[in-house]
This record gives sequence, structure tokens and C-alpha cells, in this order.
Amino acid sequence: MSSVKANSNSVVQTQKLVDQLRVEAGMERIKISLTAADLVHYCQEHRRSDPLITGIAASSNPFKDKKTCVLL
Amino acid sequence: MCVRETSEYFSLSHDLKMSGIYTLIIKLTNNDRQGLPKVKSLISKYMRSPLTPEMATQEVQLNETLAHLKTESETLKSKLEEERAKLHDVELHQVAEKVEGLGQFVMKTRRTLKGHGNKVLCMDWCKDKRRIVSSSQDGKVIVWDAFTTNKEHAVTMPCTWVMACAYAPSGCAVACGGLDNKCSVYPLSLDKNENLAAKKKSVAMHTNYLSACSFTNSDMQILTSSGDGTCALWDVESGQLLQSFHGHAADVLCLDLAPSETGNTFVSGGCDKKANVWDMRSGQCIQSFETHESDINSVRYYPSGDAFASGSDDATCRLYDLRADREVAIYSKESIIFGVSSVDFSLSGRLLFGGYNDYTINVWDVLKGTRVSILFGHENRVSTLRVSPDGTAFCTGSWDHTLRIWA
Repeated sequence: MSSVKANSNSVVQTQKLVDQLRVEAGMERIKISLTAADLVHYCQEHRRSDPLITGIAASSNPFKDKKTCVLL
Repeated sequence: MCVRETSEYFSLSHDLKMSGIYTLIIKLTNNDRQGLPKVKSLISKYMRSPLTPEMATQEVQLNETLAHLKTESETLKSKLEEERAKLHDVELHQVAEKVEGLGQFVMKTRRTLKGHGNKVLCMDWCKDKRRIVSSSQDGKVIVWDAFTTNKEHAVTMPCTWVMACAYAPSGCAVACGGLDNKCSVYPLSLDKNENLAAKKKSVAMHTNYLSACSFTNSDMQILTSSGDGTCALWDVESGQLLQSFHGHAADVLCLDLAPSETGNTFVSGGCDKKANVWDMRSGQCIQSFETHESDINSVRYYPSGDAFASGSDDATCRLYDLRADREVAIYSKESIIFGVSSVDFSLSGRLLFGGYNDYTINVWDVLKGTRVSILFGHENRVSTLRVSPDGTAFCTGSWDHTLRIWA
């Protein structure tokens, strides 16, 4: 009797797994050549607004130390 | 003598042993050598054959259904592999060949935030781009002004190992939690003398440690992940559970919300080596990725929301494309053998920063798959890393008790 219960539990679990796999298998997928091109495009578009790539002047970056003023 | 050590006990079927009936009978008959064998054979008969014929057929039917489901799941799994392989027509770095390389990077520690008495476990930036909240093993949660390195608030949690902390979008509150299995929200007040702990609000309750937390687009909802294997969405005001996410087979270690333009999803990574993408409204797992060879410590969405990166104890960072439904890049080197504790992208998504357990930070060119720079400075493992909201700097927290701002 306890083996019947154990079996019905595994059935429920496996059913859930199968349902999940069905959902995932039904997903629409796009080729990497297209999606990768989009990733590259995004990087290029936002390159200029990325301070860590293009670098911003020390005076406008609050973390970089400002150059001290030298009196001649 | 213990019942379980008798030779008769060993000869019984598994079901009979598990039922505990045998042990009970022994105790009741007080080891009566004569009555016992009769009782024993009756029980054995009862356990081995089902009471009614209906139960016998039920058991057979269940076994059949189970076998049928198992074969179906195997077929589906191999079908998934096939479908994913079909899309693998080119590698990311091949598509990125024409992109110009990045120049030399000079990034240094610009600020060091000292004040924690023990390992820094987690940190988060405020949307104002200057405040930071950090949490530590000593139970303290500190709010810093990163420009001046001043401490603005400090809260002592009732537990040690505060593994998660997050800043509210408004900047008016912080959430934190850890070994207390809860996520608590502390409203920040301008009055420095006010006792923050008095206004604490317990929001989330898990059955194991809290590993990560994050506010959604507003101060009103919090998403949490826990060592109990689940993630959950909570309403801050009422503390009510709005949605729970089940699917990980082990502790969930990290989570990240999709950028607001791309809709209501989030990704989570766990000790079961899986990264799952979830629909926040239905609680359904919509995509799952299992290519890492060890625990996934950190996950972070690519700024466009079409991909996410993960960092794992297997010493690699990987990029997964959500629309192609597969891994598209691995960031690793033979010389890197220590696990990655945290990852984050620069604003454009071109750079991926990884904090490693060998005390260093490796900077990767996301498109070309090569390492751009390696940064030294921390004196113990880097446990947390976040790029600032405006992308001008990134902050790391370490087991050496300090936080560093790099730019």
C-alpha cells in the first residue's frame, strides 16, 4: 500500500517535469546569427554612452581625482 | 537488544520495515517467542498483497503511467537538445569579428570604504549614483556616500551573515536578510539620531537562509531567493506572499530582474547548476539552462534584456541568449581556477566584470570572448560586484572587510 502512494507521488512529479519540458520545447527560437547580431548592434549603439569604455574627463567623473591647480 | 538488529527483522520486506508495525508488535507482545511468529506471518501477508483486487490494478496502472511519462520526458529532453543545436549556426565572437577591439584599460581603486568588522557579503547602489548599501558577516548593514566615503546610516541585524541587501528605487529604504531566513525593510530617515532598527518591517519568510533580494520597479514589491530552493515575490506593505517560484532542485543563490522595458521576468541561479528564467505573473519557469559544471553564484541580465550572464564555482562566466535559448559564450582561461562570486555588465554591455575567489577582478570583452584586464587590490576573495547606475564606476565588496570603488 505504501508502495502505491510512493508511485503516485513519482507520477505527479514526473508529470510536472513532462509538462515543463513540453512548455520549453514549444518555445519559438531564433538563430544565433540573428540574435548575436542584435547583441553586437546594441553594444555599438550604446558604446558612446558607456563611461567605462569611452572614458570621461577626470573633471566630470566624481570618482577620479581632479588635477590640482599649479600656480606658476 | 534493539529490534532492528534481530535476524528476523532483516529478512522482512522493505515495506514491512518501513511501516514500523513490526517494531510495534515486538514491543506489544513483549518478545513472546510463541505468539510472535504467528503475528509476524499475518502482518507479512497483509503487507505483501493488497487488500483488494482494485488496489492491485491501481498499482499496475500507476507503474505503467510512470514508465510512459518517463519515456516521454526523455523524448522531450532529446528533442529540446536537437532544437537548440539547430540554431547554433555561428559563434558570437565570429559575428563580432568586425567590431573594433577595445583599447587598454586603466582602472584603479578610487575609493576604499572601511568600516565593516567582518567579511562584506553583498552591496547595492542607490539610483542617485552615489549611495551604497553593504552588508556583512558581522550582522551590520551600512549605507555609505561613495563620493566622500562617509557612513550615513548603520543598522545592526539580529543575525550574522547578512547575505543579501538591496536599495529601494526611491532611495528611501533598504532591504536585507540572511541567516534569519527573513527579508526586512528599513526605511532610511534623514535624522541621524533616529534608531533605524525600531522601524524595521519583516517582509519575507523563508524556511532557509535568504541568499538574494531585490526591489522590483517600485518600493512596494520585493523579490527574494532562498536556500530553501524557492524564489518569492512579496508585497512590502502587508508582507503578503504574491507569487512563489518552484523549480530549482537545490539552494537558489542569486537572482536578477529583467530591465524594465523587457517585461516581467527574472532569472535565478542555484546550486543545482541551473539558471531559470521565470514569468513573474504566472510563477512559471519559461526557460532553463544547465551548462555550468558547478553552483551558479551570480546572474545578471544584459542591458538590452535579450541575454544574461552567469558566474559559477566552475571558474567560468557564461553568456546565455534568451531568444536563441542557448549558451552563446564562455569566458574562461586555463589559468583561472577559482570560482566567480559575482558578475555585472558595463552600461553598453560590452564589458563583463567578474569578481573571483582568487581576490582578483577579471574584465571580459563580451563580444570577442577575450579578457581585457585583470585588477588587483583586494586582500581576500571578492564576494560582490555592481556597476553604478550611470556606469561611471563599479564597486566591489570583499572578505577583506572593505569595499572598493573602481573607475
